[in-house]
Amino acid sequence: MPANPLISIIDDDESVRKSLAFRLEAAGYRVATYESAMAFLDALPPIGDGCVVTDIRMPQMDGMELLRRIKSSGRNLQVVVMTGHGDISLAVEAMKLGASDFIEKPFDDETLLTMIRAALNNAEASSQRQGIALEIVELIASLTTREREVLDGLVAGQPNKIIGRNLDISPRTVEIYRANVMKKMRATSLSELVRIAIKAGLS
Amino acid sequence: MADTDRGENLNRSSGEGTELERQGEEHLRMVVEDAGIGTWEVNLLTGAISCSAATARLFGVACEALATYEDVLALLHPEDRQSTAKAMKRCIEEYGDSEFDYRVLRPDGTVCWLRQRSQVHSDNANVPMRMRSVILDISKQKKVEDEFKTREEHLHSILAIVPDAMIVIDDRGIIKSFSVAANRLFGFAASEAVGQNVSMLMPEPDRSRHDSYIARYCDTGEAHVIGVGRVVTGRRQDGSTFPMHLSLVETHSGEGRHFTGFVRDLTERQETQAKLQKLQSELAHMSRLTAMGEMASTLAHELNQPLAAVGNFLNGCRQLLEGSRDPVTSKVQDALGMAAEQIVRAGQIIRHLRDFVARGETEKRIERVAHLIEEASALALVGAREQGIKIHFAVDPGVNNVVADKVQVQQVLINLLLNAIDAMQHSTRRELTLFVAPAKDNMVAFSVSDTGTGVPDDIAPRLFEPFMTTKLQGMGVGLSISRTIVESHGGRIWAEPNEGGGSIFHFTLQAAPESRTDAG
Repeated sequence: MPANPLISIIDDDESVRKSLAFRLEAAGYRVATYESAMAFLDALPPIGDGCVVTDIRMPQMDGMELLRRIKSSGRNLQVVVMTGHGDISLAVEAMKLGASDFIEKPFDDETLLTMIRAALNNAEASSQRQGIALEIVELIASLTTREREVLDGLVAGQPNKIIGRNLDISPRTVEIYRANVMKKMRATSLSELVRIAIKAGLS
Repeated sequence: MADTDRGENLNRSSGEGTELERQGEEHLRMVVEDAGIGTWEVNLLTGAISCSAATARLFGVACEALATYEDVLALLHPEDRQSTAKAMKRCIEEYGDSEFDYRVLRPDGTVCWLRQRSQVHSDNANVPMRMRSVILDISKQKKVEDEFKTREEHLHSILAIVPDAMIVIDDRGIIKSFSVAANRLFGFAASEAVGQNVSMLMPEPDRSRHDSYIARYCDTGEAHVIGVGRVVTGRRQDGSTFPMHLSLVETHSGEGRHFTGFVRDLTERQETQAKLQKLQSELAHMSRLTAMGEMASTLAHELNQPLAAVGNFLNGCRQLLEGSRDPVTSKVQDALGMAAEQIVRAGQIIRHLRDFVARGETEKRIERVAHLIEEASALALVGAREQGIKIHFAVDPGVNNVVADKVQVQQVLINLLLNAIDAMQHSTRRELTLFVAPAKDNMVAFSVSDTGTGVPDDIAPRLFEPFMTTKLQGMGVGLSISRTIVESHGGRIWAEPNEGGGSIFHFTLQAAPESRTDAG
C-alpha cells in the first residue's frame, strides 16, 4: 500500500466535490477532483493506483459508463459509487458492474471512511470482504425460508406489492417479514441490506 | 186512445181530463220527445209494452219491435241484462221509485248508455199494475265519467309508484290522504294516518309548533315552505328521524283549503353526497400527495448535495481538531460530530419521505415503543418543562413493539407533541399526556392529550386536510402528512375534544408479532 494513495473524486456538483476533498484531506488522503467523467478519463495517468469516488448521475457520461470504461481498460482501480437519489436498483447495477461499494448522500462518516479504506487496499479489501461475506452468509442462513424469499425480492429491486403477489401474501405481511430480515441482517436501511446481500454473493 | 195507451203522460193516469188538458199533455209529450227523453210503460199483468218514438230510437229499433217486456230485456247489453232485470223486479216488488243505468246493444251493433227512472203504479187493492219509465241517453256523461275514472286510476297508479310520498292535509293539519309511498316512508298505514294531525310525522320542535305554522299562514298568507320547498326532518313511526325534502302545494276546493305535501327521502342522497365528498377529499389528498411526492423527489436530489457537503465539511473539521487538548476545542469537536449526525438524520427523513411518496412504501422495522417515544419526545419536548408544562407518559405494560418506519412515526409524534405545546401557550393549566395502550385488531394506540384551546368546530372536520392551519406561522401540512404516514402504516389517526378542555389526538400502529429474534 502506497504511503499516500490518491483518491479521485468525480461529481458535477462543486460543493460535494470540494467538501469531500476537504473531508478526505483532513483524514490524510491525497485527493484530485474532476467535474466530469470525461475530465477524469482525460487526466488519467497510464499507471497508478488509488481509488475513484464517483457520482452516478452526471450529465454527458454517467457513473455507470465510467465504471464500464475503467473495468474494460483493465486497470485495477476500485470504484466507490455515490448516489443522491437513493436509487437502489442503479446501485445494485453498479455493484454488478464491479463497483466495490456504493454510498448514499449525505454520507455517514464512518461508512465513508471504511469504504475508502477498503477500496484503497485491494488485498486488504478482498480479505476483509471475505471475512464480512462469511459473517453475512451466516446471517443469511439464520433467515427462514419466507424471510429469504422476501430478501431475494428486495435485492431484485421489487416493491413490497410485487413481492407479496409473487409469494401470495399481503404487502402488510411482506412488511413484517422485511422488518424481521432487517433486524436479523443488522441492516439500518434498505440500501445497506441490499449492499450486504450483494456482498454475500446474493443477486 | 193510442196515445194514452202508449203512456206518454208522465204524471197522471190516462183517459181523463178535458180537451184543454189533453192539448197540454200533447204539448208536454212533444217537448219530452224533442228533448230525446224516452218513455215506456209495461203492463204488469200482461207484460205488454207501450213506448214512445224516442224510446224506440234510443233502443235503435222500430216501436213495433218493443212489444213485450222480454223484447226490452233482449236488447240490453248481455252484461247488464241480468242486473237490470233484477233491478226492475225489485222496483216492482217494492212498488218502488228507482233509477238505474244500463247499456243497450242496438241491432246495428252500437252501444248506448241509458239511465232509467221507473215508478210502479198499483190499483186500489195494492196490486202493481203498471211500471212507467223515462229513459235518457247518458253515453256522453258515462264517457266523461269513464275518462275521469281512468284518469284518476292513472293518477293513483302514478302516485303509488313515485318515490315521493304524498300527504294531503286540511287547514287544521288533519291528514286526509296518505299515499303508499308515504306508508313506506313513515311506517304508518294509511288507515292509521288519515284523520290524525300531520305533526305526528315530525320531530320536535316542529311537532308542537306545526298547528301554529298553519294558523300563521292562514292568517298572514306568509309562506315559508309552500311553493318553495325545503329540507326538513321527518319522523317515522318507530320514532327515528330522517332528512327529507318537502314541497307543499295549496289547493282550494269546495271542501275548503287543502295542502298537499310531496316528501322525498334524502337519507340515501345525503349518504351518497357524504361518500362523494369523502372520495373527493381523498382524491384531493392524493393529488396533493403526488405534488408533494414530486416536490419531495426534487428536494431530495437538490438537498442531498448541499447536505452531503455540509456533512463533509463538519466531519473534516472534526477530524482536523482531533488530538487537541484544549477543552473548548474538544467541545467544538463534539458539537461538530452531533451536527454531522443531524445531517445524516436529515438525509434519512428526505429519503424515507421520497421512498414513501414514490413507492407508497415505508421502510418499516420492528421498533420498541418505549424507544420511539423516548427519541421523539426528546426532540419535541425541549424547553417544554420550562414553559411550565406538566408532562406525563403512560405506557401500558402490554405494549411492546410496533411495525413502523421509525423516522416517520417519530415525525408524527413530534408533530402531535409540538401541536399540543402550541395549543397550551395561553392556558393556565398546562398538562400534556402521552398514553400508549393496546387497541383492538392487534394495534397499538398512541394518544396525545393537551389542556389547550381545543380544535375550533369549523376546523375539526377538515383537520387532517392539507393546508389547514390555525397557527399564524403554520403551513398546515403537519397533520396531513401525519395522516398519510399513519394510513400507510395501516393505522388510523383522529382527534377528539379533551373532557377538561383541549384535545386528544389518537393514532394507531400495527403491533409487531412476537419475533423469534426479539431476544437478540
